[in-house]
Amino acid sequence: MKENIGLSRREFIKATGAACAAFLMAGTLPGLVKPTSAAEAEEKIGDVLKRHFGDRKIETGHVDIKAPIIAENGAVVPITVTSDLPMEKDNYVKKIYIYAEGNIQPYVASSNLTPANGKAELALRIKMRKTSNVRAVFETSTGKLYEGIKSVKVTIGGCGG
Amino acid sequence: MAEVGKIRIKLPQGIKKGEVIPVKALITHPMETGLRKDKAGKPIPAYYINDVKVYYGNDLVSSMEWTIAISADPFMTFYVKADKAAPLKIVYKDNKGGTFEDTVQINPQ
Repeated sequence: MKENIGLSRREFIKATGAACAAFLMAGTLPGLVKPTSAAEAEEKIGDVLKRHFGDRKIETGHVDIKAPIIAENGAVVPITVTSDLPMEKDNYVKKIYIYAEGNIQPYVASSNLTPANGKAELALRIKMRKTSNVRAVFETSTGKLYEGIKSVKVTIGGCGG
Repeated sequence: MAEVGKIRIKLPQGIKKGEVIPVKALITHPMETGLRKDKAGKPIPAYYINDVKVYYGNDLVSSMEWTIAISADPFMTFYVKADKAAPLKIVYKDNKGGTFEDTVQINPQ
């Protein structure tokens, strides 16, 4: 090894590492002042479900998702989530949660319902970054959770634009 | 960009008393995610509706939480049970403090 180089290998790595870190910080700092900076951290669907429902059991069934099999434009994917669960005074769907599993932030929307809705159904147009599952969880006033899942193929992602 | 906050609500024709009816609502809004950059590489700030409330008469029928994953110019369909003659009001709020609302009258026969 040549001993006469001013910078040892270790020092060189340290110096470039620090420079890289500084560069990255500079790159991300403007982002930090934005209110949405948290949105930039990619979240896994499992973590979101855990955050919303803890360890509660989610059953399959009673939830149907209508969505295109292939969405040409991920920026506008029409979806309808619906259920045959009752909407009666003492037994109704009190909340609907919608997720697009491939998004950086998989949580898309939620809606609190009342028996005055008459029907547990909601249609929205959502953004999908890539091909993934759309998932809907329906929470009843009796404390039960039901989910439905549908895969949607996205040809052009809709989050970056 | 068209006028932000312009709302159109559509009800079906000939509503019968007690019928569960679809309500379709469209609002003009960019629904900017905050994740995009402009041509100069500067981030475009997030600008999106995050709160939607539906009132039928004096009752809050539905309240929604939206994220950046709702498409620009949000369009939705939800249901209400038309059991009374009363106004149906939708109130949208965005993350920059904007509030937009519109009302239609439900007159079941």
